[in-house]
Amino acid sequence: MPRILVCYKWVLDEQDIKINPGDLSLDSSKAKYKISDYDKNAIEEAMLLVESKEGSVDALTFGSDKVKQSLKDVLSRGPGKVDWIGDTAFEQADAFVTANVLAAAIRKNGSYDLILCGEGSSDSYSQQVAPRLAAILSIPAITFVQKISIDGSRIIATRKLGDCTEVVEVAGPAVLSVLPEINKPRIPSLKQVMAAAKKPSQEVKLADLQLGAEELQPKTITLSVKGYVMNRKNILYKEANQADNVAKLVASLAQEGMC
Amino acid sequence: MSGIWIYSEDSMIAKELLTVGLALKVSMGKSVGVITLASEEQDAFIAAGADKVCILKGQNPWPESYAGAVADFLSKEQASVLLVGGTLRGKDLAAKVAAILKTGLVTDALTVGYVNNGIETTRLIYGGLAIRTEAVSLPAFVTVPPRTYTEAPAMAGRQGEIFTVEVDNTASGVSVSNVCPIIREGADISTASRVIGVGRGFSKKEDLAMAEKLAQAIGAEIGCTRGIAEDSHWLPSERYIGISGQKVKAELYLAAGISGQVQHVVGVRDSKIIVAIDTNEKAPIFAAADYGIVGDLYEVLPLLAEAIEKK
Ligand SMILES: Cc1cc2nc3c(=O)[nH]c(=O)nc-3n(C[C@H](O)[C@H](O)[C@H](O)COP(=O)(O)OP(=O)(O)OC[C@H]3O[C@@H](n4cnc5c(N)ncnc54)[C@H](O)[C@@H]3O)c2cc1C
Ligand SMILES: Nc1ncnc2c1ncn2[C@@H]1O[C@H](COP(=O)(O)O)[C@@H](O)[C@H]1O
Repeated sequence: MPRILVCYKWVLDEQDIKINPGDLSLDSSKAKYKISDYDKNAIEEAMLLVESKEGSVDALTFGSDKVKQSLKDVLSRGPGKVDWIGDTAFEQADAFVTANVLAAAIRKNGSYDLILCGEGSSDSYSQQVAPRLAAILSIPAITFVQKISIDGSRIIATRKLGDCTEVVEVAGPAVLSVLPEINKPRIPSLKQVMAAAKKPSQEVKLADLQLGAEELQPKTITLSVKGYVMNRKNILYKEANQADNVAKLVASLAQEGMC
Repeated sequence: MSGIWIYSEDSMIAKELLTVGLALKVSMGKSVGVITLASEEQDAFIAAGADKVCILKGQNPWPESYAGAVADFLSKEQASVLLVGGTLRGKDLAAKVAAILKTGLVTDALTVGYVNNGIETTRLIYGGLAIRTEAVSLPAFVTVPPRTYTEAPAMAGRQGEIFTVEVDNTASGVSVSNVCPIIREGADISTASRVIGVGRGFSKKEDLAMAEKLAQAIGAEIGCTRGIAEDSHWLPSERYIGISGQKVKAELYLAAGISGQVQHVVGVRDSKIIVAIDTNEKAPIFAAADYGIVGDLYEVLPLLAEAIEKK
């Protein structure tokens, strides 16, 4: 009966972010938040593991004051409880700070057999938090996992590293980061959404985690963020007759010296 | 603090990193060393510009199990900079070493420089939508994607210090088995001059034959989106293009049935000409393209192959 913890990040949906053409700054005023894409796979995997083995799934997140909005979403995906830390420290947090905060929350709030993360977060995609978390907690990390099974206290995971795979077996507890191909996250049903409202969520105050100033001081400082602009010709052929479109495209490619 | 150090479990990538390491050596005035698990490469590293080579020798062949040993070594050396080859194994190790030493780590840096007594890097965020410039005070760790730099060339007659450090990396309770070697199939799309990208607009594997026919007609290699390789397994992993896959710098990139999410486009946007075929006129791929056809790839691809063959 494994006790599983899933760490998820509440991120801006990059599809809604616009680039201001003048100074290339980012405009996220219309952007909505979402659970980081691959964390949905981590949540789904936790649910699949307990559906076959019983056990429990908790969720944990560290975010800004906006992170409260995520609680219903995450609970409707199956976890029985969520712990959340909402603090302005998140705005400047790098992977060093994030892993320190998550590790402190885990030490304070529970013991787990398995801690699941996504392969990388959709916004910063630093792919650091899972292995850092394992190192801080002094437990094994198995990263880039495409298959997990649990046998008593043994965790058996298949990693995918480019086109190479390997099977890693450890005695839990351990931190695992999952690849998106591990499963297809379910869309929460209406019943699950309704049930989510009744599930417990617990706010954890950053101040209660007894972290030193040093551990909350980011090691990497953002100097600037600039949108990436593409200058393309954007010529579109959209006649109903595809033979015409193709002829025009071939003529254009010939002009470019491509055929 | 002293020393710039390089680590990769892949010696070819370690030599690429020497190119950055040697540039930092000039600006920082510090020596460059390579930490390696491959003793047979020791002289090649010295020839390529390393001042020192440290060979870590443990019992366990799993590269990830060297994280503790690398951390111990760096801490003894009081290293200022660690550059790590950004393979998945490298990123795993780098993050653990950074956590043990409580150090800042930048993943997948596009550029690495020495500015204001610290390391300044650029990297992509939001899937490739934006570039973030970051400052890391020393000691600073950075992972650099494979093939970002060319290998540092070998020079005749270089001398350097080579030493072996025996380490205990028998991580208790971890066992690794069924390690499958990397099998490379076909050409390397990252250096191909023409690439056709296939996406979820294809409804079954057999239909990729249409893309192959066009590829033959124009002399292109086939690449794909992540889902085609990792979910559907229609093509091998090294064929997928994007932020977490290959980067393509082609003369011509033609996307068929690809929506053009930024995580994919980031891998092709350095190409000279981009062409897109998609049924959805609003698909973001058209904003990233020079030429586009709004249409069904099942109709357009055969017509296009035929038209090009006729030319
Ligand atoms: C952190 C992170 C990293 C990622 N890294 C990568 C990466 O490295 N590489 C990558 O590719 N993706 C990556 N992704 C996934 C990426 O966001 C997209 O989901 C993916 O690229 C979409 O693949 P697709 O275009 O094949 O499929 P879809 O988005 O489903 O698009 C299919 C397209 O086909 C069109 N279509 C359907 N039928 C036809 C037809 N008959 N004829 C013509 N067109 C048709 C549709 O209109 C649609 O535009 C990443 C995601 C995240 C969150
Ligand atoms: N602020 C956060 N709160 C909870 N989990 C996080 C947070 N940031 C990262 N993670 C977890 O760590 C994984 C890797 O994130 P990253 O290192 O940012 O790529 C994510 O997929 C999450 O599972």
